[in-house]
Amino acid sequence: MAEAIQLRSVTKAYQRAGETLRVLDELELTMAGGTFYALMGPSGSGKTTLLNLVGGLDHADTGAVMVGDVDLTRLGGSELAAWRAGNVGFVFQGFNLLPVLTARENVELPLQLTPLSRRQRREQAERALQLVGLGDRMDHKPRELSGGQEQRVAIARAIATDPQVILADEPTGDLDRNTADAVLQLLQRLNRELGKTILMVTHDPQAAGYADKIIHLDKGKLGRIETNPGRG
Amino acid sequence: MPWKLLWRNVVGHPVRSLLTVGAVAVAVFLVCVLDAVTSGLTRTLDAASANRLLVQSAVSLFVDLPLSYQQKIASVPGVEAICKWQWFGGRYEQDKGGFFAQFGIDADSFLPSYPEMKVVRGSYDDFKKQRTACCVGDELADKYGWQVGQTVPINGTIFTRTDGRPWEFTIAAIYHSDSPAVDNQTMWFQFDYLRESLEQGGAEGPLGVGVYMLRMAPGTDPVAVQQAVDAMFENGPQRVQTTTEAEFNRQFISMLGDVPTLLQLIGGAVLFAIFFAVLNTMLMAGRERTRDLGVMKALGFTDRATGMLLVAESLLLCGLGAAAGIGLGLLAEAPFAVATATFLPGFGFDERTLLLGAGIAVAVGLVAGVLPGRRAARLTAIAALREVG
Repeated sequence: MAEAIQLRSVTKAYQRAGETLRVLDELELTMAGGTFYALMGPSGSGKTTLLNLVGGLDHADTGAVMVGDVDLTRLGGSELAAWRAGNVGFVFQGFNLLPVLTARENVELPLQLTPLSRRQRREQAERALQLVGLGDRMDHKPRELSGGQEQRVAIARAIATDPQVILADEPTGDLDRNTADAVLQLLQRLNRELGKTILMVTHDPQAAGYADKIIHLDKGKLGRIETNPGRG
Repeated sequence: MPWKLLWRNVVGHPVRSLLTVGAVAVAVFLVCVLDAVTSGLTRTLDAASANRLLVQSAVSLFVDLPLSYQQKIASVPGVEAICKWQWFGGRYEQDKGGFFAQFGIDADSFLPSYPEMKVVRGSYDDFKKQRTACCVGDELADKYGWQVGQTVPINGTIFTRTDGRPWEFTIAAIYHSDSPAVDNQTMWFQFDYLRESLEQGGAEGPLGVGVYMLRMAPGTDPVAVQQAVDAMFENGPQRVQTTTEAEFNRQFISMLGDVPTLLQLIGGAVLFAIFFAVLNTMLMAGRERTRDLGVMKALGFTDRATGMLLVAESLLLCGLGAAAGIGLGLLAEAPFAVATATFLPGFGFDERTLLLGAGIAVAVGLVAGVLPGRRAARLTAIAALREVG
């Protein structure tokens, strides 16, 4: 069973033009492990900030961010980096593949932080690429791939180290409808077949429809949590 | 360290990387050459013999001393042999653009005073026997394809023949010197040939001696000889200055100015310029890769690792430049040594010169990489990813 995510009284504020902007305000949220969540809300509601806190990319001002039994707010910079390397995979809207590396090398990149041998890394990267249906595109550079293929490489990179949590920030924002559906189906597969906990930020109700549950945020506070019909 | 990424980042921008490597290579090459010149000067001075003194006019090296001084100087206690040296300043007729030094000397005392010189072809005895004979360095002979017995026509510029024809010297001996004190591209001929030509009206020019070389007997105090010779002509007709061979060489070099300082200044300016070129490259690389750095941090690479990636890239570029520059230097060493043999017989790369070139490249790479590396290390993943939009 994948690890549960808990946010306990989490507050996060930014300074903008001399004013304090409270992005997350005493947020209380618990997400079950092995569940596909969509995170929705208007711009500035704190979606990406929440994603960054859960992914260990940012620190909460107050409160606790628990992933499994690890309180991320207690970890320092290099400890968080080590934690990210083994426990969380990111999928970004702009794909964010390294342009000088091939698809296989991009997927291998996070595996360099593991004790695996070069051969094992290569094999694991190839398995991840085959899983996302890109077994025949391993030696292609990102510029030689379509947007959908790039995003699938990014998903393969996110799951290469076999993390329990996958965080996706608008993963279909740059894709056409058909391609977006294929990517969302892939995320759904990862959740259903591999039991990954997925937290996906999206503005797109259709994309949110692939999730088990939809969390609504508004002005840094938790709104309602919907369960998609036929799921959960 | 993701080595593959490091290498791909370098080869991913071939033009920029090649230009940077090329700039570092040229700088390292220049620094190596300048250092080799400075070391060559030092080697030449260090190789000077301790038992040879040189007597020149106290006014200037370009003012001749009277011939009559020879006997008087030879009588100074401790002087074992004396040899005239007269700068001829001629041009080899077949090579209008080429230059090599020619000196009129006393054949009997010359070679015995320079044990570092060995006759490798022909015979020094033949040189002594023939008035018009000459003894040339092996590099000079090889350069022009000269053989023993061949006649070499030289047009005089200071000493011109009255019949308008060039001077003709027959090669009787070819020498080689392993010491930077004597180069292998000089022509020595009998001073008496010059003197007789001038005295008999076959040639025109000043009749005098540029420098007297004194070989001291073993155990002689050079200072005492110097003082005795200088005192001998204190009241004229021509005051003299007696120096050790090393001091004479030093003064000769200093006529060109403070060469070592000048070379160091040029080297410093080159390094300064190249440092900013590499720094600029690395800052551009760092800014271009902001997004990549953010992605790497999100994947779990530490701040230190991402910073070190840029430092390592800078070191790699400079290391490649250093290798190319040193390789270029080694290729150019022999032609340079031949070209500078007349005035800088000690030119050559030694281990220290090569290490200096490599060390400077590494230092430039390190310093130029630290600034973008620090920026990369301090950048948060969120800020880096946000910069992309």
